[in-house]
This record gives sequence, structure tokens and C-alpha cells, in this order.
Amino acid sequence: MSRSWVDAILAAGVVPASSVPEASLGRTDVEEFTGADLVEDPELRIHPLVGVRPLAPAAVAFLDGIEHWRVAGYAGVTPIVEAYVAAAVRRRGGDRRLRTVAEQTEELAITRLDRLPDAVRRALEGTEVRVVEIPAEDAGLPARALPAARVAMQAARAALERRLAERHAAAMSAEEWLVVDGVLSDSAALSAHPRTLGVVKSHGAQYFEGPELERALTLPVSHRTSVFRPRTRGARRDIHSWYLRLWPWEGKDLLYGLLRVEARAHADTIALASRVSAWLMDERAPLATPDRRWDRLLYPIHDVETYLRARTPRELLAPPPPSLPSPLPRTGS
Amino acid sequence: MIERRDPSPVLPPPPVGRVVATEQKPATPHQFHFWTATETSIGIGAIVRVEGSGGGAQVSGRVVYGVVTDAFAYSDLVTPLHDVVGAEGDPARAAENPTARQEIRLWTAAVLRQIPAEPLQPVPLGDVHVATDADVAQALRMDAYLGRGGAQPTAIPVGLYTSGGLEAPVYLDADFLLGPEAAHLNISGVSGLATKTSAVEFLLSSIFQHFPAHRGRVAAVCFNVKGPDLCFLDRPGTLDDEDRRRYERLGVGAHPFERVCYYAPFKADGVNLNTLRTHPDLVGDVEPLVWGLREVLDYAEVLLNRDDIDAKADAFIDFLSDRVVDREFDDGFGGAHRVVTFADLERLFRSIFDGLELASRSDTWRTHHIATIRKVRNRLSNISTRCKGLVADDGPSNDLPWGRFEDRAVYVVDVANVDPLGQDLVFARVVSKLREHLERRDLGVEAVVVFVDELNKYAPGDGPETYVKKMLLDISERGRYLGLVLFGAEQFRSQVHRRVVGNAGTIVFGRMDSDELATPGYQVLSPATKIKLATLPVGELMVRHPHFTQPIFVRFPRPAALRGRDGVERFPPAADLSFDEAVVRQLVKLDRRVRPNAVKDLIADRREEDVRRALAHTRQARPQDAFANFKKELGRRVAPAMAPGSPLERQSVPPLSPISDEPY
Repeated sequence: MSRSWVDAILAAGVVPASSVPEASLGRTDVEEFTGADLVEDPELRIHPLVGVRPLAPAAVAFLDGIEHWRVAGYAGVTPIVEAYVAAAVRRRGGDRRLRTVAEQTEELAITRLDRLPDAVRRALEGTEVRVVEIPAEDAGLPARALPAARVAMQAARAALERRLAERHAAAMSAEEWLVVDGVLSDSAALSAHPRTLGVVKSHGAQYFEGPELERALTLPVSHRTSVFRPRTRGARRDIHSWYLRLWPWEGKDLLYGLLRVEARAHADTIALASRVSAWLMDERAPLATPDRRWDRLLYPIHDVETYLRARTPRELLAPPPPSLPSPLPRTGS
Repeated sequence: MIERRDPSPVLPPPPVGRVVATEQKPATPHQFHFWTATETSIGIGAIVRVEGSGGGAQVSGRVVYGVVTDAFAYSDLVTPLHDVVGAEGDPARAAENPTARQEIRLWTAAVLRQIPAEPLQPVPLGDVHVATDADVAQALRMDAYLGRGGAQPTAIPVGLYTSGGLEAPVYLDADFLLGPEAAHLNISGVSGLATKTSAVEFLLSSIFQHFPAHRGRVAAVCFNVKGPDLCFLDRPGTLDDEDRRRYERLGVGAHPFERVCYYAPFKADGVNLNTLRTHPDLVGDVEPLVWGLREVLDYAEVLLNRDDIDAKADAFIDFLSDRVVDREFDDGFGGAHRVVTFADLERLFRSIFDGLELASRSDTWRTHHIATIRKVRNRLSNISTRCKGLVADDGPSNDLPWGRFEDRAVYVVDVANVDPLGQDLVFARVVSKLREHLERRDLGVEAVVVFVDELNKYAPGDGPETYVKKMLLDISERGRYLGLVLFGAEQFRSQVHRRVVGNAGTIVFGRMDSDELATPGYQVLSPATKIKLATLPVGELMVRHPHFTQPIFVRFPRPAALRGRDGVERFPPAADLSFDEAVVRQLVKLDRRVRPNAVKDLIADRREEDVRRALAHTRQARPQDAFANFKKELGRRVAPAMAPGSPLERQSVPPLSPISDEPY
């Protein structure tokens, strides 16, 4: 990735910065109560997976994305954020090895153009970088501008992942499945695809209450819940979903090893839920260590993420050397 | 000379790897690391080429050649426990994981050559390619002696470097193998695989076919010290298609040695040869190796160790050698002697003892104490007893063709079944004579390769300073100036004298014993190289040569000459002949007209020692009519004329008393 646009705006008078916010943990589920309708059983039940014959697709593609950002500088009090989003699809065939079949990256400059001095704006517009603007009401205080920039970056990442996934899903053979890290319901095409799964590791959205919630969150290992349909909210499409416990949670945490699986809203999904779950149970190994989320992170997804991080431009991973001397004494480690 | 096996033009092959450098594993001017795909043709010993790209002129133009010395494979597994957890403790399940972990093949390579050589810099982080034939020549600096640029080539094929479907001939520089720049070759390896002997046979063949004419003539003297190893060098061995292909690739003709001369001493009976090359079809080529008093006296130091011989005995031996042997000599008691053989010497000793006893009862003779004389007599007579068959009491010697060595000829001296004392004598005398003639430039050739197996035995790192060890050290340190080149072989290099192996310009390793590889001399080798050495197949060697900055693995074809163990099966040794049959055979060998019955009738009532002496004279004279000559020799010496009462009539020396206080 070219850093010429950053150099250009610094030359135009932007005060350089070296702030690197905490990296995103990925797209998370909505954090609100949405409710759900049971479609498999009259009440939320627990289905054992022992003895279930796992689904064994001939080929499986896994999609994940990453994001990196840093504050490149300040024009006055307006931050200019340098963001990088990337997504890849890595396909697993008969040799059990993952190979990249699709990949896309994008570099973004996130700021509020009308708050920038003319020279900086001209410098930015003179480069080829895509500029994403944050809302005007967030452009003042950095405490609001930076979260807004992050939201903008995540939206860009989600769009990138969605484009890549839809393109790959459209080209998949009849024996191939696509597993997406995150929700499917962002995309109409993915939500309706018969061989696409969304694997959700974060559990911000609440679909049940009372005993059913307890039943879902205390699911034993190698069990799944009944299939349910999250109630539609916003632009999200109709989808079927169920919880799956990969590892015993006792002694750890309620969410330990707990996945929520999304698939198209179709009777076949209900029929295949146990076999798909047994397949995902098999995907526990190899462990996705050393990632802290290894209890919920499938190794192939971890592999895609590792691949993307390995290809991330180095300058985005570590802050550039400060142009201004630090007032603090240098310390050795 | 260097060519690709598949001559069809191809596009430049894609890189097989990429140099990586970290703080923990940096690239240096002498070592670098690179990774490859999991499935790769790269292996330990593979030669690779690194091309620098980017980073300015110093990097982009730089080409580095390296040889792979170590390899690592690892996955993204943080700890083995995670694999256990993932498989729920069942190893069978671990293999059923739906996804194979990411893994790496990381290789360590030692730099063979950098172009340009100056300034010497760390290896650039560039693409890694499998070496082509031309790359191998460059990497091993063989371009300096392959005759490119108009220079006369001095390249001797030693084997094929093979890796990843590519193979390239590897050459040694004759100037560094046979002198004068460096010289000598040492080969180590476990016994029983025939690798050492086979390698030397192939290399000798290669030398004979490729030693440049402008460097002069060359011959080889091979000591056969065990079994039939070198007894069939003139007979074709069994080669398969792969061997023939390798010969063709190396430009070496697949045929046995054309000129081989075999020498072996007699057995104790003095008529049957002490060798395994006694099959009737072959024994005719074997010349007896027979030495007499002069040959022994010149190398008395070899046979008489310091515990036996003091300065006084030494002086007496010198006296015999300088004043007595081969001269008309008056013993001072009225007897005239011409001492040529051990029998003549024995007569002189008896004359001296009798003279002293009968004349004055003095205990000194010509300033030498009688005890010293008796001691020297005992030791010398012991030699003729222990080395019976090699050392003749009587009759002329039969020796290597000093001064008439032929170009590209092999002289095999079979001492496999000779007493160790006799072996020492043979080594010492043959090598000393070679040195003498090479110093005088009258051997017939300008360079001689001396092949000695079992250096562990003849030049051990510890133990007494024997004459043979000193002689081998002398060759190692000074031989290259003379054209006297030592090809030594042993099982344990660590146990051979450091100066012998240290002076070898070219070092060759066959399959090595693990214990031997654990000794300090092999610390420079990586663990992977050691493992490869410990498991080397027959026909593969690791070679170090002054032009190669790192050891290189090569494959060589089986020697075109018949292997010893195959030879004894195809040409089983004949049983020992009776005395008269053996005499007949030797005379027939000299003259095919000789009638066996006539010989048997002639020797029927003769003493065996007389027959042996007559036979030796006939062999030495090589007359037109061997039988007539033999008959004449036998008639002339069969009954030595002795006056009644002469010293020889006595069967033993009368005791002398008192002689001396010396504690002999």
C-alpha cells in the first residue's frame, strides 16, 4: 500500500500522530434484545450430537476479514485516520490444506473533509486514497470522532467481506460450502444460499429470556439447541440459527466454547442442523491457539486471519517513528 | 563438459524458496536461511542459488551459492499439549483433523560462493533457486580448472551431485589432488559396505583417464591388506544401466584397469603364492615378491624395534651393510666371504663364532662384542623365519620394476596374508623406494598414488612411533613436492594420526559410524549432515576439497573392475599345489615349452631349498630356454662344495663362555 497520501497531508501541514487504537476484534453481533421464533421445536430444546454423522463437504471455503487503523495526524482538532481493511477466502480441498482463492484489500482515509484546511483537503483529494467521511456531528471532539471513524472502518470491512463472500458463493460448485466468520444476515445473497454458514463468536444479541436463555447458555458440550429464527431487525434478512457448544463451559464461563450458527431460513437447514453441528464439532481441531478466542474460533478462520495479518503492510502494524522528539527519556527493555 | 541431462530449452525455473532473516536467525556472509513449500525437492546437501533483488546495486547484482546443511519443520502449534487437547488424547484422531496446520520447511544453508566476492556482505533476502549444472560449477569454483577461458583443464571427475532431478558432474582439481598445490586423499567410512575401496577404484580410474598429459605420467601402487579387495582390478565387474549412465555423464570409460601388475610374496613353502589371486586363469599374472638380505638390511629399522636394538647393534648392522654385504670380505680367520643372501650371512656368522671360539676365545670381533653379533644374528634370522616367503634365505630377489613404472598402470602389492612385520617391511621399502626414485626423477612416472587401507592400523593417532607411521607422515607432509600421493582409507578418522589426515587436501566420507561422528573432529558438521552421513547409501560420498568451501555430497558409479568378493566367486582361489607342481607351473609361466614331467624328474631327488634357489635364478634371468637354465642353476648349486671340517658342517654354534655381562 502506498503511504504517499499520508506524506502528502503531513506535508500540507497536518500534525503527525502515532496513536494506534486497539485492533478490532471483528464484527460483533448487535448488543440488544431481539427475540426469536422457534422453528424446529415448540420450545428451546437441547439436541445431543453424539452419534450424529457429520456433514462432510468435499470442499469448504472460509472467509474472514481484518482491519487496522491509526491516526495519521490532526488537522486542527480533526483526526485523519489511516485505515486498512482486508478480506480473504481460503478454500480447503481433499488435501486438508487451505489455499487462498479470493482476496481483497482497501486503504481508507477517514476524516471530515469540510473540517480540514484547504491545503490538507487538496492534498488528500490529490491522492488516490478513498476518503470516508464521518458524520459532521462527530467531527469535533476526538472522543467522538475516533469511535465514528472506527464505525466507518468496520462498515467498510463488512462491505468488503460481503462482496467477497457473495462473489465466491455465486461461483461455488454444488459440493462446496462457505463458512463466514460472523453473521450472514447482512447479505441477501448469503442469507439465501443453501451452502453458506455464518459462525458467530460474540453473543451480544439476546434471543431468549428466562429458562430458555439459561438453557441456551448452559448448553452442554457436543450439544446444540433447537433451530430458531431471530426476529428481523433493521436490514437483516430472515435467517435460521442455533447455538452449539464446542467445549465444556463448566469451570470457565457461560460463553466458553459457545457458537451461534446462522444458515438460510429453510426446512433443509433444520434437517441438517445436527449434521452441520457435528461437522463444526470436528472443526474444533486443530486448536486455533494461541488466539485467546480459540474456544470459539475455528482453525480455518484463524488461518484466514493469520494469512491476512501476514500480508498487512508493516507500517500499519507498528507506529512510525515520531517526527517530534518525545519529552520522556528513552528507556530500554 | 558441463551439460544438462535434458538438453531441451526451458524457461528459467521459478524460485523454490525465499531467504528469510530474523534477529534470531539473521543472514550472514557465511550462512542464510530460506523457506520452501512443504513439498520440495530441496534436501540436505542440495546446492541452491540466491539472487538478490532490490536494495540497490550491491544487492540486486549479487548471486550467492549455498549448500543446505540443516532443515527445520514446524507448525503454528504453540505447545504439544494443544494437539493432545484437540485430538482429545487420541493420536488417531489427530490425523483426522479436517484442516492441516500451517507448517514450514525452513532450511539453513552455508555459503559456497558469493559473486562478486568483494565486498563480502550478508546474503540478500532474495529468491532461492535450485542450482543448475552451470551453477554447480560456479558454486564449487570448478570453473577455475574446467579449462574455461583457454586454460588447460585439470579436472578429475569424482561423482555426480544429484538433487531434485538435476545432476551435475563434480570435479576435483588434479593440482590439488595429486600435487603440487595440495595433495593426498583420505577416505573414511564404516567397513563392510565396500564404499571406500570402490570409491578409490573409481577415482583411480577417473584419474587415469583425465589426468592431463601436460602434468606428466601417473601410476598407482595399491597395497592389498585384506582379503581379495584389489585382486581383480583388471577384470570387468558387473554394472547396471544406472552405473553406465553415470559413467557416461562423468565422461569416464566404464572399463577395468588396462595395466595392472600384481605382486605377492610366496607362502612359507617358497613356491605357492600368498594371495587369493591363485585361480589358474589369473595366477600367471602375479609376480612373486621376494626380497633378500640387502633389502632387509636397508630397512632393518622397520623390523628391529628399539627394544631390541641398541646403538651397538645398530652399528654392527651398519657395518654389515656397508662393509660386508655384496663385497668380498675376509672374516679375519682365513675365510673369504661374499655375503649376498641370508645363507651367506649365516655362514659368515658361523665362521666368526667358530673363529672366536677356536682361535683366541676373545669376545670381540672387529670391535663388535660377540653378544652384539649374536643378538643381531638372532634378530635377522627371526625375520627370515617370520617373513618366510617374502624374505628368502637364498637366491635372488624379485621386486617391483623400479625405474620402469608405466604410465596409467596399477601395481598391486598383495600383503593381505603376510605377517604384520612383513607388511611393515613391504610398506616401508616400497614407499621408500618410490620416494627415492621420485626424488631422482627416474621412476618412469612423475606421480604415484599410493593407496593404503586400514590407516587406523598403520598410522594410529596414539601408540608407538613405528617406522611405517613415520613414513606415512613423511609422505603426507612432503610427498606432494615429489609427486608421491597418499590415498589413505580407514574406518575411524578420529583415530588416525592428525598430521596424516590433516595433510590430506581432499577428504571423502562414506557412511559413518554414529560414535565416530560424535567425536570432536566432526563438530563443524550440522546435526542434519551427520545424520545424512550416518545413513549414506552405498555409492554416495561426502567430499571436501580445497576449492569447495563446504562439503558436497556426490554419487559415483560402481567401479568397472571386478569387486574382490565377486572375484573370488568367479575365480575361486586354487588349492596350494604340491612342491613339484608349483615349480612346474612357475617354469611353464616363464617358458610354455617346458615339459612338466621333465621338471618333476629333475627335481625328484633334490633338496627343496636348492630347487627354490634355482627357480629364483631362472625367474630373475628370464632365459629363452627356461628348463635349460633351471637345470643349469640346479646342477651348479645343488651340492655346495665344502671342505671337511669347514664351519658349515657344524649344525650348531658351540657355546661361548664367559661372553659378557650384557643382559641379552
